[in-house]
Amino acid sequence: MIVIRSKTARDVLRCVIPFLLIPAVVLLGAAVFSEKRHAFVSLAVAGLSVVLFLTGFERQKTGSRRLVIVSVMTALAVVGRFIPVLKPVAAVTIMTAIYLGGESGFLVGAMTALISNFYFGQGPWTPFQMLAWGLIGLFAGLLADPLRRSRVLLLVYGVVSGIFYSMTMDIWTVMWYGGGFDPQLYKSAIIAAIPHTTAYVVSNVVFLALMADPFGEKLDRLRVKYGV
Amino acid sequence: MEILAVKELSFTYPQTNAPAVSDVSFSVRRGELVTVCGATGSGKSTLLRLLKRELSPLGEQSGTLLFSGTPLPGLSDRDSASRIGFVMQDPEQQIVTDKVWHELAFGLENLALPQQTIALRTAETASWLGISDWYDRDVAELSGGQKQILNLASVMAMQPDLLILDEPTAQLDPIAAAEFINALKKLNTELSLTVIIAEHRLGELIPISDRLMVLEEGRLIFDGEPRSVISQLRSRPELMCAMPAAAQLYTSLGFTGEDCPLTVREGRNFIEQHFRRKIKSLPRKETPAPAPPALELEDVFFRYDKHSPDILRGLTLTVRTGEIFCILGGNGSGKTTALSAVSGIIRPYSGTIRIFGRRLREYKNQSLYRECLALMPQDVRTMFLRPTVREELSEHGAELPDIPFDISQLLDKHPYDLSGGEQQLVGLAKVLAAKPKLLLMDEPTKGLDSHAKLRFISLLRKLRNSGMTIVAVTHDVELAAQCADRCAMFFLGTSVSVGTPDEFFGGNNFYTTAAGRMSRGYYENVPDVASLAELCRLNGEREDAR
Amino acid sequence: MRSFSDFDPIALTVYFFAAAGSAMFCMEPVNAVISLLGAVTLYVVRSRGGKLRTHLWSAGLFVVMALVNPVITHNGKTVLFVFNDDPITLESLIFGLTSATVITAVLYWFMTFSQIMTSDRLLYVFGALSPKLALVLSMTLRYVRLFRRRWRQTQQTQRALGLYKDDNIIDSIRGGLRVFSIMMTWSLESGITTADSMAARGYGVCRRTSFRRYRIRRADAALIAVSLALLAVICTGIALGALHTDFYPEFTLHSSGTLTVLCHISCFVLAFLPSAFEAAEAIKWKYLQSRS
Repeated sequence: MIVIRSKTARDVLRCVIPFLLIPAVVLLGAAVFSEKRHAFVSLAVAGLSVVLFLTGFERQKTGSRRLVIVSVMTALAVVGRFIPVLKPVAAVTIMTAIYLGGESGFLVGAMTALISNFYFGQGPWTPFQMLAWGLIGLFAGLLADPLRRSRVLLLVYGVVSGIFYSMTMDIWTVMWYGGGFDPQLYKSAIIAAIPHTTAYVVSNVVFLALMADPFGEKLDRLRVKYGV
Repeated sequence: MEILAVKELSFTYPQTNAPAVSDVSFSVRRGELVTVCGATGSGKSTLLRLLKRELSPLGEQSGTLLFSGTPLPGLSDRDSASRIGFVMQDPEQQIVTDKVWHELAFGLENLALPQQTIALRTAETASWLGISDWYDRDVAELSGGQKQILNLASVMAMQPDLLILDEPTAQLDPIAAAEFINALKKLNTELSLTVIIAEHRLGELIPISDRLMVLEEGRLIFDGEPRSVISQLRSRPELMCAMPAAAQLYTSLGFTGEDCPLTVREGRNFIEQHFRRKIKSLPRKETPAPAPPALELEDVFFRYDKHSPDILRGLTLTVRTGEIFCILGGNGSGKTTALSAVSGIIRPYSGTIRIFGRRLREYKNQSLYRECLALMPQDVRTMFLRPTVREELSEHGAELPDIPFDISQLLDKHPYDLSGGEQQLVGLAKVLAAKPKLLLMDEPTKGLDSHAKLRFISLLRKLRNSGMTIVAVTHDVELAAQCADRCAMFFLGTSVSVGTPDEFFGGNNFYTTAAGRMSRGYYENVPDVASLAELCRLNGEREDAR
Repeated sequence: MRSFSDFDPIALTVYFFAAAGSAMFCMEPVNAVISLLGAVTLYVVRSRGGKLRTHLWSAGLFVVMALVNPVITHNGKTVLFVFNDDPITLESLIFGLTSATVITAVLYWFMTFSQIMTSDRLLYVFGALSPKLALVLSMTLRYVRLFRRRWRQTQQTQRALGLYKDDNIIDSIRGGLRVFSIMMTWSLESGITTADSMAARGYGVCRRTSFRRYRIRRADAALIAVSLALLAVICTGIALGALHTDFYPEFTLHSSGTLTVLCHISCFVLAFLPSAFEAAEAIKWKYLQSRS
């Protein structure tokens, strides 16, 4: 049976992945795949780090309300990807992270990528998207206090994360196409992606501006009314 | 054997003075089916939630609760979760997972039962409740009634000793509600499951109940065998209006005693035994001269996709100015689709729709929605955006004095803190702000208790008397019988019969009110209990009666 | 009739990662072509030809990707012609073609993979990793379906309130934002009921398990073993340089040894395994039908 039944086995796996498997993959990739190693290594690292974060989630106790909010926000982000032009994914991830912590933010970002790609096309880019959106959430969680206090900072974070997301995905495009990392190709990819980057940045700013007050209000309300 | 004992239970919510439940004592024996009733806000829900530890609200609580002899707080988490089952009102929101099989397994997964046990219990429950055909389906594909049966099944898979249900049929149409009650009856009689159920639609429930408890302002005012409780309720019209039609007839004709009829069959026997049959029907009301049409549909066809079947198949219908027109029909008969077509949300591929004589497409630039037509959606929550009712109203320019009912005490509340009936009123106020002459409503009484329904009916009459034309799509035959000027029955995308409530409900055999069914073949054209009682009085009692 | 998708989802996942991975990480024209043919055949067999639009879209992508490289990169010594003062070389074109073949093959592998990975199977795979994660996934999938319906409802209500029109892009974005806000409130508020329902059914009593409706049979174990073994052969080939290809300055295949042939055979078996399985099962089925 491949299913990891025992808790210990899962715990072992959690230690093995960061300390042994990721370095091993990097070294092995470098040795085996010579010039093609960038694509392989980056994909493997992306995949493994996502797995790492997600198994970390299993370990802790999560209340039912938090779990519901995480799934509601993920589903909203997935459904929001159907809005023309403006995509709320990063904004939803950031807001969740600010109010529920970085781990929930990571989860919302990563799961949105995974699930929405069943509608928008699954591919080797999925782990990258999961990692990129997940990290946007994770860092928003770390910066929760200042982001909650200052609206300007929040919008700046939205702009930065839009650019970050676009450039991360460009790295992947380049590596996938050429097998290795070609700065020349990367430059043209970034230029070609400017319309997309703009759309991400604008979406983030618009949705963050739109959601910041009502979302906080709503969660505070739930906290008072039901003691979440 | 006593399964539940409640002694001197009181409960007060934080930041309120009046207790929500005060000094309630009762006990329930194994295998009993206990119905709890009372108006919205009488403390039913709070009482039931106090019986289920995981759902107990925060607040000040006193008194004792014994479950099978153990104090409720002393139960282990596992026992508390599995031995007391709880089904809530909203069929949609209680579902947790995306597949029927997963939902059935959810509780068992939480208890970390072995794979074999989960497989057996889900299979057993699904087979017994007759839902094994759905086992692999997405929950999104199920109808509201099916969802509620699934909620019942997934609680039953945990094999509870006590099942608590909080208004489980309030959101269902009458047919689905009857099915749900039947499933409950089967569980109660064949598994001798103990059931405590709060409900405000009592027609089908009272005949199968062993006990009826009535709550008022947090106090248990009546507790006993249904017939004796009902005989004590006769001076309380606001509670009586929720009782079965036969019982309402019995008390409104001045009868008292222990032989109160509860079902349609008993009601019919009661009429035949006690009343003569000289006059068969009430004199017809004069039909007013036909007013000009407010809404005309002519051969309207609609389908969602090129390859999907027609939803509206040559629908032809005329609604006259200043009438309340009710559209009845089962699920999928095209009722709601017809409203969407009339309000211009969807566009039929053939046929014409005229509103006040003008074709729908001649209303340019949103002029349709200004002082002409308004649509009250089935779910008013699709309208609420703001944190207070006041802001909700001002967004549409609704002024308090213009609203034909009083919602001033709700203004500073959050729309989601209101009861279903109050939400309905706020939604209506928003819709009326556009000063429509034609008001379309989709299932306006869904989830309202009987008393709120009566108030809503008088509000509809008031609106009509001020000149508004109202078209309501509804499953609720009692609503149509009491307030409609004319009714239509939809079937498979067309209107199969149109008439005044007397003709309509007197003529229908199955799709009619309880009063219509009780009197059918004995008297004619009886739409509701009030007319039946009047007819009985006119005929007078038989000499050989009693 | 048993079909390839009836294998245990974990076995299927291992297989698809082996198949797509072996195409992705060795830029070698012969393997790339074999993998592409295998992937397209499987897709066509499983979806009875598939949609013409999908194939046209892939073909278009293939052409674009094959041409991007010669336009950007001018390495290589065989100049075909000069375009815009830039030399277009044969080597660069071959690299583009190989790259496009690999990418198209991976796209087809993933198309079949997402077809096969229905939510039940996906949950099972995730349930093996983390039961709680599988639960969140399942809850989210339910919400996605629910929200798409609510989205339509809310949009209709809002439109009937006459607040915005549908015929211009600004109004439709404004409408989208408004609907999004309404849905957010509605969903968070009603989520409390869901959370209650979870608590009422014992969520959090102890560490939960995942109910599994699949179990690994011998055939599934065999599929995993075969996939991994074939992948191992190909990886060995890559490591030992048997599949090494030079594109610049001159296109050369270092493919002569036994190992190279072995790698190509492995790649072929890996790529055509599911299609062959489907064909064999279809024949067996016909045979059984004709006998009864």
